[in-house]
Amino acid sequence: MSLEMLLVIAFGGAFLTYLLGKLSPVLRDILAVLLTLVILAIVALFYGRTGESSFMNFLGFNLSLRINTLSWLFAIAVATLGSLSTIFSLSYMKGKERLDFYYLMMLIVNASMLGIVFSGDLISFYVFWEIMSWGTFLLISYNRGPALAAGLKYIVMSIVGSTAYLLGMFSLYASYSTFNIADIASRISTASPGYLLSVLVLFSITFGIKNALVPLHTWLPDAHSEAPSPFSAVLSGILIKMGTYGFVISMYVLVGIKALSHLGHGILSFHFMLAILAAVTILVPTFIALMQDDAKRVLAWSSIAQVGYIILGIAIGTSLGFAGGMFHFLNHASFKALLFMAIGAVEYRTGTRDLNSLGGIIKKMPFTFMMTLIGALGLIGFPLTNGFVSKWLIYKTLILGKDPFLAFVALFGTWGTILYAYKILHNIFMGQLPEEYKGVEEAPFSMKFPMVILSIIIILFGILPGIPLKVINVIGVSLGFKSLAVNIWGIASDTGALNTINIFSAILVSWIVVWLIFKAAPTSLRVEQDNNYAAGSYVPTGRYLYTANFYAPVYRIIKPYVIDVVDIFYMALAGAVRTLCDWTRRMYTGELGSYVMYIMLFLAVLITMRLGFNIW
Amino acid sequence: MVNPVLLIAVPLGLAFSLPIFGLISKRLEKYLPVIAMLFNLSLSVYLVPRVLTHPIIVYIGGWAPPFGIDLFVGPVGIFFSVIIALVGLLVSIYAMDYIKEGDTGKYHVLFLLLLTGAQGVVLTGDIFNLFVFYEILCISSYALVGYLRDRDGLESAIKYLVQGSIGTGLVLTGIAFIYGLYGTLNMADIARQINSIKPAANFITLALIITGLGVEAAIFPMNAWLPDAHSSAPSSISAILSGIAIEIGVYAIARVIFTIFGATDILSFVALVGIITLLVGEMSALKQNNIKRMLAYSSTGQIGLIVFAFAIATSYGIEAGLFQILNHSLSKALLFLAAGYMIYRTGSMEISSFEGMGKRMPLTSLGFTIGAFSLIGLPPFAGFASKFLIVKAALTKGGGLYTCLIALALVATVIEGAYFFRVVQVLYFRGSNENVTRQEAPVVALVPFFVLAVLIIAIGIYPGPVMHVLNSATSEFVHRIAYIQGVLR
Amino acid sequence: MSFLNANTYYIAAFGLIFIGLYIVMAKKNLVKVVIGLSFVDSGINLLLISIGYIKGGTAPIFSRPGISPLKMVDPIPQALVLTAIVIGVAVLALALSLVVKLYQQYGTLDIRKIRGLKW
Repeated sequence: MSLEMLLVIAFGGAFLTYLLGKLSPVLRDILAVLLTLVILAIVALFYGRTGESSFMNFLGFNLSLRINTLSWLFAIAVATLGSLSTIFSLSYMKGKERLDFYYLMMLIVNASMLGIVFSGDLISFYVFWEIMSWGTFLLISYNRGPALAAGLKYIVMSIVGSTAYLLGMFSLYASYSTFNIADIASRISTASPGYLLSVLVLFSITFGIKNALVPLHTWLPDAHSEAPSPFSAVLSGILIKMGTYGFVISMYVLVGIKALSHLGHGILSFHFMLAILAAVTILVPTFIALMQDDAKRVLAWSSIAQVGYIILGIAIGTSLGFAGGMFHFLNHASFKALLFMAIGAVEYRTGTRDLNSLGGIIKKMPFTFMMTLIGALGLIGFPLTNGFVSKWLIYKTLILGKDPFLAFVALFGTWGTILYAYKILHNIFMGQLPEEYKGVEEAPFSMKFPMVILSIIIILFGILPGIPLKVINVIGVSLGFKSLAVNIWGIASDTGALNTINIFSAILVSWIVVWLIFKAAPTSLRVEQDNNYAAGSYVPTGRYLYTANFYAPVYRIIKPYVIDVVDIFYMALAGAVRTLCDWTRRMYTGELGSYVMYIMLFLAVLITMRLGFNIW
Repeated sequence: MVNPVLLIAVPLGLAFSLPIFGLISKRLEKYLPVIAMLFNLSLSVYLVPRVLTHPIIVYIGGWAPPFGIDLFVGPVGIFFSVIIALVGLLVSIYAMDYIKEGDTGKYHVLFLLLLTGAQGVVLTGDIFNLFVFYEILCISSYALVGYLRDRDGLESAIKYLVQGSIGTGLVLTGIAFIYGLYGTLNMADIARQINSIKPAANFITLALIITGLGVEAAIFPMNAWLPDAHSSAPSSISAILSGIAIEIGVYAIARVIFTIFGATDILSFVALVGIITLLVGEMSALKQNNIKRMLAYSSTGQIGLIVFAFAIATSYGIEAGLFQILNHSLSKALLFLAAGYMIYRTGSMEISSFEGMGKRMPLTSLGFTIGAFSLIGLPPFAGFASKFLIVKAALTKGGGLYTCLIALALVATVIEGAYFFRVVQVLYFRGSNENVTRQEAPVVALVPFFVLAVLIIAIGIYPGPVMHVLNSATSEFVHRIAYIQGVLR
Repeated sequence: MSFLNANTYYIAAFGLIFIGLYIVMAKKNLVKVVIGLSFVDSGINLLLISIGYIKGGTAPIFSRPGISPLKMVDPIPQALVLTAIVIGVAVLALALSLVVKLYQQYGTLDIRKIRGLKW
């Protein structure tokens, strides 16, 4: 099985699914799920393979596909989330309009992401990148209403990004006359730092937009919250990580770790500037997330913040930091997808995701609650979930690298994360169950299944972090980082080892102790709500709104400081551009005389410029 | 060996015999353009391999140049012939059903004349003959713009006519200068002598011709007629005007600058004008609510991009410009044709009235979307290859000016993306989808949509065969000595 | 004065062209605009003719013995002018018929009032 075949299957299968949908919706669903599972299996079989092959000639350039451990890691994440979200879609999307189109786009986006990670040259990277962009645009717009503005915002920013990419790509071509990533990488070491920096900045714009790095993040909150939930999971879980992949490719594969370290020094180095941006990306969005009342918007802002951790780890550029960033990418893919799916399940059953009107769903959807809990724990970085390990690696990098400010921001961000993760858990699942949700049922199986898989991944990687870390270590070594002493339980280093078996036993022991204490203590009396809940006064049977306006005191403190200034700026800019455009077209006045005058003016200008001033 | 003069003679002959066929049967009239274009397409495709090995030069009446008129069927000529015949064929198929109102016989006569003019311009080797064919193209397009005889059509027709006549008047003045300076009208012969005259006189001649042709090619600021004319003509004519007529103008300018004058010093100015045209066009299109006006402004923008690509003047640049001409012809024809039936169904040109079209006319909407994506330059459509080539040409040319200009061009692409994606959203996602019944365009209209869409995707994925032709076409522009020697053996 | 004498036709030709252009740009009546176009046409035709004209020249036909080819008027510009006149007539006819139709539609020939299409 070659890479070309994989892509042919992925793209061809997508169109086949669309055509089959015209015949029978059931067959279409089956084919879509089968297709993603087959892709997953193929990608899994690719493990450990390396190689590069050219697959077609485009305008005189060989387009090639290449596989190595780095691309395999991203590919397996793409394939896993692709299949899980397709399974999740089965019941979530049931009865919605235009499902053939939905599955087609879902599968195309999935296939194009595989194309991105497997492309061995900058052109095919760009081609798949653009296919992903417009596919995503169509899917974001799918929900109509406010989704339209979100889609437009996404695609405009995306085109800006690809513009920067094109410029970067062609300036590399102009210097090295090749588009092949490996070839450029082998020749780039002689380039001047200024040139490298300009190329890196161009690429950073592209990948920063996709990765939602502040100040290029503004498309993300709208897009993530307006997209259909299974696609939000893909969007947040893996699609924005294509930006991360791009950062890794441009920083460590193209430019290379050695040349990168020569780009400026101290605070004014490329590394450090990126790290600062990543820190801002953690800090501000975390607290904006806290203030949202739409569950998916909370998660969307949270995605921006978590991506900040990933970039922070990668930008620092030590082997520990790189491992932490890469591991956090995997973890974020798993728990954020899980959370989007869980919120999707709640929305599917209740029809809303407004945190102020939900509550007490735990009684009706205990399973979904458990899943949300695991996801939220992973998000916070609770021990024994994978988030703990990756955040530990990142903190450790920052502390070892003597970056107290960055380390503080990372820790402070985690504190904010705890607040909003708790807000989601509490406002949806705790408290009193509103009257209208009395009839809510547990999520159907096709929703439970992907959530279970993801939660297993979260716990598994939390207890046995060595599984992914070994792969990440291979990647790091191939990029020129020092090898890490990874074992199945964690990671050893001279300044203190991480060993999950110790943590695991410590927690187990403390749980047992707590359990024993509770067991020994006299059991508490079960008190009915009417008993003394409201001190004997009448309890309204409707909604008892103590989950609304959660964290109101915190809001009052942070509200003046946490404003998305960038978004306001972009919106003002867009408005200004629109006004300017409106004024431009007023040149066409409708007056015939002036039109003829334009013609004569052009002639006059042409002749005077040449003969009078001899400009050229 | 078939004589390439038939490429001009057959449509011209059929155009004037069409009223006679009309006497036999009114229904026959609408098939004649299809037959003529089918003939032209097969002949041009048949000639492609021969022309690529060496250009065919036909001496009309057996008079050798510089005394007689010659047809120079080189790679450039045959490339444009194929585009004209292809787009002409598809539009004439479309028009079989679309044109029902008015005196349809006259429509078909004028339509054939327009294509004859275009065909003649790209094949002729004589500059006055070029002017004559150019006038044939212009006059028939003035008449066709006013074909519907509604207020907008008539108004834009008279405005187009006045501006166009001023433009062709300037061209004729320039030709008079050329004749006065060199005593010849054969393009190769002029090119041979061009450096024998002092530059100032040369330059004024060049400026007159460029300005004159620039009116028809819709270069800023001479493009004021275009949004009016393209938006009020019948959609099939808009497709031809956008897909063929303005490209012919660009061809003529390129021929004059590269082959006749060999004027490389003016090119940086032309590049600048191209980018201004692009920016103004795209910016004017951004807030349009009238779909055809939006597409028309987008055409001026694309012309600016083509002009810019030509002005880069390396072989990469010319190749990119030719590729963009191909892409624009196909995509813009598809867009106008698709928009034509959507307007026909809704009775309105307002973009907002196209809500729910994705369900009402799914194939038409799909065609529109493919055309729009291709114009923005998204892979895997043809527009990507041309955008790729243009950026490559500009950045390999080097120099601060071209880097800045291409950056501006890409900014314009962002604006273009914004308004095209907005329309795509209206087609598929805006408004509610309920109570919409399917009212697809008739089959004769779907055939052109299908062919154009398939071509756009096929060329986007496998540009190789097209590039083969474009390489030879580029060298025809770059090696003007070879052109001169070929004609004046 | 010798400049004027030697270039009378050219001056007249450009004079006609510029008068025509002025009319087209400045006049608001459509019929006048069309007349302006006609001026431009005539000017260009005169220009073409005068390029090939030789003072005291003969027709380019060897109609009797002893005609020097050097004194013959260049025939090509005349052929060009014939073509240009035909084209000019066609454009003029089309323009005038459009003007008639416009008058039927709008009831005016004032170009300032015929401004349905702008921006």
